[in-house]
Amino acid sequence: MKSRIAIALVVACAFSGALGAAWGLQPRALAQDEQQASEGQSVWDGVYTEEQARRGEALYQKDCSTCHGDRLNGTGEAPALSGGGFLSNWNGLTVGDLFERIRKTMPQDKPERLTRQEKADVLAYILSFNKFPAGKSELRHQSEWLKQIQFEESKPEREKPSQP
Amino acid sequence: MDYIKGCRVNCAWLWIVAVLIGTPLHVVGQHQARETEWPTYAADLAGTRYRPLDQINASNFNDLEIAWRFKTENLGNRPEYKLEGTPLMVNGVLYATAGSRRAAIALDAATGELLWVHGEHEGARGAAAPRQLSGRGLAYWSDGKDERILYVTPGFRLICLDARTGTRIPTFGEGGAVDLKLNDDQTIEPDLTTGEIGIQSAPVVAKDTIIIGAAFREGFTPRSMRNNKGYVRGFDVRTGKRLWIFHTIPKKGEFGYDTWLNSSAEYTGNTGVWTQVTADEQLGLVYLAVESPTGDFYGGHRPGNDLFGETLVCVDLKTGQRKWHFQLVHHPLWDMDISSAPILADITVDGKPVKAVAQPSKQGFLYVFDRVTGKPVWPIKEQPVAVGNVPGEWYSPTQPIPSKPPAYSRNGVSRDDLIDFTPELREKAKAIAAKYRLGPVFTPPSVSQLNGPLGTLTMGTASGGTNWPGGSYDPETHIAYLYACNSCLEPVGLVQPPKEVSDMRYVYGTAGQEVKAIHGPGENAGADAPMPPKKKAASDYVQLNVDGLPLVKPPYGTITAINLDKGEIVWQIAHGETPDLVRKHPALHGLNIPRTGQESYTVGTLVTKTLVIAGESQVTTTAEHPRGAMLRAYDKVTGKEVGAVYMPGPESGSPMTYMVNGKQYIVIAVSGGAYSGEYIAYALPSE
Repeated sequence: MKSRIAIALVVACAFSGALGAAWGLQPRALAQDEQQASEGQSVWDGVYTEEQARRGEALYQKDCSTCHGDRLNGTGEAPALSGGGFLSNWNGLTVGDLFERIRKTMPQDKPERLTRQEKADVLAYILSFNKFPAGKSELRHQSEWLKQIQFEESKPEREKPSQP
Repeated sequence: MDYIKGCRVNCAWLWIVAVLIGTPLHVVGQHQARETEWPTYAADLAGTRYRPLDQINASNFNDLEIAWRFKTENLGNRPEYKLEGTPLMVNGVLYATAGSRRAAIALDAATGELLWVHGEHEGARGAAAPRQLSGRGLAYWSDGKDERILYVTPGFRLICLDARTGTRIPTFGEGGAVDLKLNDDQTIEPDLTTGEIGIQSAPVVAKDTIIIGAAFREGFTPRSMRNNKGYVRGFDVRTGKRLWIFHTIPKKGEFGYDTWLNSSAEYTGNTGVWTQVTADEQLGLVYLAVESPTGDFYGGHRPGNDLFGETLVCVDLKTGQRKWHFQLVHHPLWDMDISSAPILADITVDGKPVKAVAQPSKQGFLYVFDRVTGKPVWPIKEQPVAVGNVPGEWYSPTQPIPSKPPAYSRNGVSRDDLIDFTPELREKAKAIAAKYRLGPVFTPPSVSQLNGPLGTLTMGTASGGTNWPGGSYDPETHIAYLYACNSCLEPVGLVQPPKEVSDMRYVYGTAGQEVKAIHGPGENAGADAPMPPKKKAASDYVQLNVDGLPLVKPPYGTITAINLDKGEIVWQIAHGETPDLVRKHPALHGLNIPRTGQESYTVGTLVTKTLVIAGESQVTTTAEHPRGAMLRAYDKVTGKEVGAVYMPGPESGSPMTYMVNGKQYIVIAVSGGAYSGEYIAYALPSE
């Protein structure tokens, strides 16, 4: 009985594999960010897109600039979000740490006014303003992914694996 | 007493037993604090932040370990990143405010175990409060039997709790609460829910009287020249009944009313006492440090000297009647709020004993007076100062400047203050500074102009010098210890705001940049308020740094020891590790730069029998420690660093110390950046 079930399962898997191949579905290759996450990623690896940063800029000017300044320069007690002090303050932490702070407490009067996705877009704009490079994939809004991205104020010297 | 007379032998035993237990039967009046306790925000009513404890000393400070820790994340509907409290410790229990709820908590002082928590849910009134988050602390009172905790909520209500259980005492006020927006000799506008008034400092109880001031929004960009007023009140600790009120802006017919020309005392507001109050119970006197009137940098709508704005006022503890006053800044224009507790010090000057009060300030002056008469201990002379030309403004031709002690932090800006690590950096700094008006203390603000000056570049204003954490004082040696921000630059330019932002002629701003209301921490940004139409900025924003480095040269933050018998500075050191961005800057590669100290306005000092202790409010990553901030100890005689222990995040509230079960603890509030609020207790390792 057991061996018949086992044979049936093997046949079913082979069949679905064949079907999959017939429909053009290949075994899924890792997306670029997933690949880089497994290798160790930082803000220097192009972790947001320019389009996302443009969306983020509009949101920033509407909901963040009142306290953090038009040019991310800070006002009163809301600190600057660009420049040496800001970079120093987050250096050694992850993009996820910064995202969590924004997610839980910003905008200060009503954090729920922006969605997770919108906050990721604002963060993309902040990264862009600070001259970290843009890339092909958007900055995700799941904290567990963002925690894989190291926030490094200086570009790390790292051997890039040679491309095939 | 008949009972006592009728039972001589038994009562003798009763007395012996009572003495052995340590509970004198004859105790009346307030709780007599032991040296091992910390019964009020600043250690004592004199504001000394001093305890004569020495178990933790230079020989073992480096051995300190975290004894217990208490996170404040869930004391509110979101975590808090600005925990500013200094807890109290009485009878083995630690009391503090904490969390975005500004909850009151009681912890076991030896283990940090939560004993009780109390929170007030204030709805819209709390959300509209000008000063939110957990504030700076609370007050304890006892008559030997009854023990009470008193604190003020963000929505400006005075709450009285049973210290043993954390429940409201029903016989106090209305069911344990006094609505501070009522019975304030004014109608709080526009209504009780949204009317702007609140407080973040800890209340103080002196001889059964609770003393409460008032605070408002940040004053850089007021919505109006009109605002609610910040009177000071005394309340009965048992009943919550209002005992007295002091009008910091005089009413018609009261002394000082005519120092507000054109009847501007009628509509001008603010001018509250938002910082800590000190009191001399023996003399029956209270010392009030008053803030700026409406409009931190523009006073055209309140011509005249504006008493009692930026004035040190002494009032009677029982009646609130003014005994003496001294205005530190006439017609305030520099946001020189008197920001910290007036320190009561019994000193000896030229061989004569003086009961003094020493007032630290943002402007780096320590003003010292006889606290009975108000007479300055050393001459404070009216000096002529520059007069400005902002349209509609009124200027005082002189300002009082102490002759002694010398200024302990920078209060003007000159080219000599600019960064000088290298000639190239100095040249770049000069080019930036050339866009501003420079000058010594009391150089007036300027209208911001596109082609320059963009404003007056200042230090010793807004966040300069000593701020709300205040100073410390050693009553044994007569030395005051003052942390100061020595590099808190504030460019003060004035612009004409659109009507929807303010009805004032001028508010703080920069020419060519959109005028935006400046908000303080935790302030409601008014989600439904109409935003002014967006204009493209006509000018590039000028960064007040040189390639990321501070525009001015170090030291960025200092601790100064001042001998109050002589009015002299004994020592001054840079407090705080050199910031990472300075240490690692490519332009400074190869240079040997001494420790620069850190720019901050949240650092407070603690003085013990041998040490001055203060934490860092910036994180750094060095060879000595991974990413974090250090709690540092200095020899109080020499200022030499004798120890430092690691904190996982920056300090955000002043440290305190106490002893329980023969063990000394230091507790400090840590929060900021990625680190949500936590009280951390340090102690020596157990034997």
